[in-house]
Amino acid sequence: MTALLELDGLVKRFPVRDALGRRAGAVHAVDGVSLSVAEGEVLAIVGESGCGKSTLGRLMLNLITPDAGSVRFAGEDLTRLSAAALRARRRDMQLIFQDPFASLDPRMTVEQAIAEPLRLHRIVPRDQERARVADLLARVGLRPELARRWPHEFSGGQRQRIAIARALASRPRLIVGDEPVSALDVSVQAQVINLLSDLIREFRLTFVLISHDLGVVRHVADRVAVMYLGRIVEEGPAEQVLTAPLHPYTRALLAAVPGHGAKAPPIEGDVPSPIAPPPGCRFHTRCPFAEDRCRVTVPELSAGPHRVACHLTGRLPPAPPRPERAAGGERLRRLQSFFRAPGPQPGAQP
Amino acid sequence: MSATAAIPAGESPTRRAIKRFLRHRLAVFGLIIVVLFVAVALLAPLIAPYDPLQTSWSRIRKPPSWDHWMGTDENGRDVLSRVIWGARASLMAGVISVLGALLLGVPLGLLAGLAGGWTDAIISRVADAMLSVPFLILAIALAAFLGPALENAMLAIAITASPVFVRLSRGMALDAKSTDWIEAARALGNPPWRIAFVHVLPNIIPPLLVQASLAIAEAIIAEAALSFLGLGMQPPNPSWGSMLNSSQRFLTQAPWLSIFPGLTIMIVVLAFNLMGDGLRDALDPRAERR
Repeated sequence: MTALLELDGLVKRFPVRDALGRRAGAVHAVDGVSLSVAEGEVLAIVGESGCGKSTLGRLMLNLITPDAGSVRFAGEDLTRLSAAALRARRRDMQLIFQDPFASLDPRMTVEQAIAEPLRLHRIVPRDQERARVADLLARVGLRPELARRWPHEFSGGQRQRIAIARALASRPRLIVGDEPVSALDVSVQAQVINLLSDLIREFRLTFVLISHDLGVVRHVADRVAVMYLGRIVEEGPAEQVLTAPLHPYTRALLAAVPGHGAKAPPIEGDVPSPIAPPPGCRFHTRCPFAEDRCRVTVPELSAGPHRVACHLTGRLPPAPPRPERAAGGERLRRLQSFFRAPGPQPGAQP
Repeated sequence: MSATAAIPAGESPTRRAIKRFLRHRLAVFGLIIVVLFVAVALLAPLIAPYDPLQTSWSRIRKPPSWDHWMGTDENGRDVLSRVIWGARASLMAGVISVLGALLLGVPLGLLAGLAGGWTDAIISRVADAMLSVPFLILAIALAAFLGPALENAMLAIAITASPVFVRLSRGMALDAKSTDWIEAARALGNPPWRIAFVHVLPNIIPPLLVQASLAIAEAIIAEAALSFLGLGMQPPNPSWGSMLNSSQRFLTQAPWLSIFPGLTIMIVVLAFNLMGDGLRDALDPRAERR
């Protein structure tokens, strides 16, 4: 497997200004992230809200420019491309947003929205546009007759399907999904996750799933990267990270899944301010195992397929036994079994 | 729900707004009056009972009568005919100068809002500086500088009215810039000009439309004021403002000379304002959500 996307030492800080407009520090949203995503792989990025997941997703597509580091897509450094060359490259990488009520232009019909990438990148001749849109709508489980409708006439799940169709239109190689189902009802979440995993297989997509929902992650991810305060603390094959976590933070995250049987020491307190992140290991303020060294030296990510950034690796008490399948995943699977069967989706509800 | 039921093309946001507008009685009333005056202006040669420039020594300053519904002026010209022809100058001045202000202000505002940085700072400061001078004073100064003619008056009004549109479209563009669908447009590979004109512009048309309809009312008053001061329509051609100008000497002897043009200005301005209010209600973004 070759790497489609390689992030190297990415840093993004957002300046914070005081009431007079002077610089009063910066939010360390992403602080030295190196990561690679292989062609055809589904990588999940998990972490609490505010840990920099979404910023990292935007950086991957160079929608925001990093303060340091590089983003290589198919061997090409996106941060060095001209504006026009980058626009042309966007054909190959797409983004799915969290809030389907905000991500569609309210003044464009479904057809116009989905046809836009086709036109921008001259993918099909104009006379075949309509057929292509109908085809895409069918792929995401919507009736092609709905093409002439406006976003306000659809439910959240249907809008998200439209957004997915739009993301697929240019046949991208990489799609970043920024919490693509977390704004949806639970029943609809299962449908949309099923749809996504079907499409990932069908189009052999490379997919980066940004999510805080470990049930969803477990269901689709090949690999998982855990983020805490702008840094990656653990990264590896999904089943290893999710069943045998090495980092205390990952353990705590897993233990926090509701209905989960195993008891790990709960994490206390809130995430420290990203404006002044703690020195040393950023997790030491909440880590039950923290030693003196953790408060001073920043732990580096280890090498190998399952990487972890912790001084205590190998010396932690063994992770509490976990049932092979967590309850969260089980619930999702049960829900999915309900929605797999009925075949084509019903049209727009009046 | 029958699966074979035909699916209509869907209702566009514009159609929904029109429906809401038509439910607003006062606004429709304003619209009717505006349409009426536009018709009067267009059909002036057909409906004016007399030649608006024809003077007559035997009919100087006659009060309203069956022959001359609004009386005659100091040169014996029919006031009604002059009011009818004057609608051309006033409406043209209102509509054309506001169109000019839109054409000038909106692209600058979009540029300022979307580009940010220095571009924004320069455009915004110039607009602020212009807004700090009272509207009429600035219009008068510009018109005086350009020379007395209706075209110059319209140009002066267009320039004076444009900062409002710069500000409005800049603010709306800033708003739009932070939305997901504008980021989505960028992520799809839209070039900046397409984001400005295909994605942002259609979404900020509602507030612009409201502002424009109110600005037309203001521009009509401004044209009247400029003509009153001799900077707009030149005699002997009629415009409501210049009619007021020449009638001021006879305010006590022949009040009909000022009452009728004044009343007409009032009615038209009121109609545009009613229409603008109705548009604002119909296009309210909060009502846009389901």
